[in-house]
Amino acid sequence: MRIAHGRVTLELHEVTHRDGPALLLLHALYESSASWGEAPAWPGRVYALDFSGHGRSDWLVGGGYYPEMLVADADATLAHIGGAALAGAGIGAYVATLLAGARSALVPAALLLPGAGLAGGGAQPDFNQPRQPLSPPPRQPGCDPMVHVLNRDARPPDYVEPFARAAKRLLLVEDGTARPPWWEAARGVTRAEVAPAELSVALARLAAA
Amino acid sequence: MIEPTYPGAVAPERTCTFASLGVQLRALEWGDPRAMPIVLAHGMWDHAHSFSVLGPLLAARFRVIALDARGHGDSTWASAYTWPTDVLDIVNVMRALGEPVHLVGHSKGGGQVTDAACIAPELVRKVVNIDGFGPPSLPTGDDPVPHMVAFLDARRRIAGRSTWRPYASLDDLVERRRAQNPRLTREWLRYFLFFGALESPDGWRWKHDPQMGHGFGPWRPEWIGPSYAALHAPMLAVVGSEHDTWGPLPEPLLSERLSHVKRLERRVVAGAGHFVHIEKPRETAALICEFLES
Repeated sequence: MRIAHGRVTLELHEVTHRDGPALLLLHALYESSASWGEAPAWPGRVYALDFSGHGRSDWLVGGGYYPEMLVADADATLAHIGGAALAGAGIGAYVATLLAGARSALVPAALLLPGAGLAGGGAQPDFNQPRQPLSPPPRQPGCDPMVHVLNRDARPPDYVEPFARAAKRLLLVEDGTARPPWWEAARGVTRAEVAPAELSVALARLAAA
Repeated sequence: MIEPTYPGAVAPERTCTFASLGVQLRALEWGDPRAMPIVLAHGMWDHAHSFSVLGPLLAARFRVIALDARGHGDSTWASAYTWPTDVLDIVNVMRALGEPVHLVGHSKGGGQVTDAACIAPELVRKVVNIDGFGPPSLPTGDDPVPHMVAFLDARRRIAGRSTWRPYASLDDLVERRRAQNPRLTREWLRYFLFFGALESPDGWRWKHDPQMGHGFGPWRPEWIGPSYAALHAPMLAVVGSEHDTWGPLPEPLLSERLSHVKRLERRVVAGAGHFVHIEKPRETAALICEFLES
């Protein structure tokens, strides 16, 4: 189905239809709703969003991607489907953390998974590195090359922590890949748990409220 | 309505358009097209006519190109507005000009031309920053969560909004802006806002994009000073002597931020507030010419 968010129309896939609590899947950077593969086991409806600039969602005219705009993409989806648990990979995990904190009444739990765009540009801008915004990387199939800027935004841990604290429940999947400072901050809050790396097992844990 | 006039304001000699990232940027031009270019960038909610008095004063020696930022004035609207895309727009204008230029920016435009010079040093000769040194502290306070909620609520609210509500007259827009910037005269604002608004049968509407403005996220004012360390071009930092909405910063804070600039000159214009180039255009033009030609 199509969802309006500002001047962008987003593609939301309804993956499974059975009655029960909703789950919204938020993909990693350069990926799309198709990246989740076959429908995961979940006791209710499962939706998968294409973020703006990705999959079958519109590209932003003039660029201007920033993580909070992706949070607003996911929030526009919640406005459409009602409350949902979130599962986000890479930058989708960062988006899920911010949204779970900002919309805690609508988001009972969020599962955070590693993936592309997880670290962003680190805890703060690196003022010693020359900035080179004019050369996007080789084009990733199926997404706007401008989304590359989402790999460079600063993510101070003390910015994320209040969102993680406000979230009802956070489950973090740790698979041995490097974890950025914002992830450690989210993991440090009282209601954060580390979940098993197997997606189906982690989702079963997420569903067990 | 007939185009208003203002003492010292000169209609542009030419207009031109630059393409950047799918957006069309409109610019006003004064001066010999073969002279050395100066690119001017305006502040938040303003537009290129902000330089209708300063620009012609600089045009005796330079080719003056005053940009409408995306979403402002007669530039086209974008899907989203961020600081880095505004900066990239300025860089793309410089690339299109094909030779190193001088940059002059006011307020938000001052910060952005400084950033553009950090990113593309090979395209920049000198930078003039007119009171564009950032806010003193985070305008959103310490807890980012309620601010994110307000942002998301606003995104839901404006999702379908394509235009501003109409004001009955241009004078109503003048009073709206004067409430924000009381040092700007009604005479100036009547001239300036005429070009920043559209008259239609039901009244006057702002030209700038109603979907603009987010001003939040993890960004910190403490990052401004250290970011200046990447600036290779000489910078002239100009502020007014008078306290005003949006500036100048308290002197210790301004000095601290500017301490990161390698090649710095500073000037204070007596009797001016935040809009130095509008309140004291001749003094400002003289400072700029002296700096650029030294």
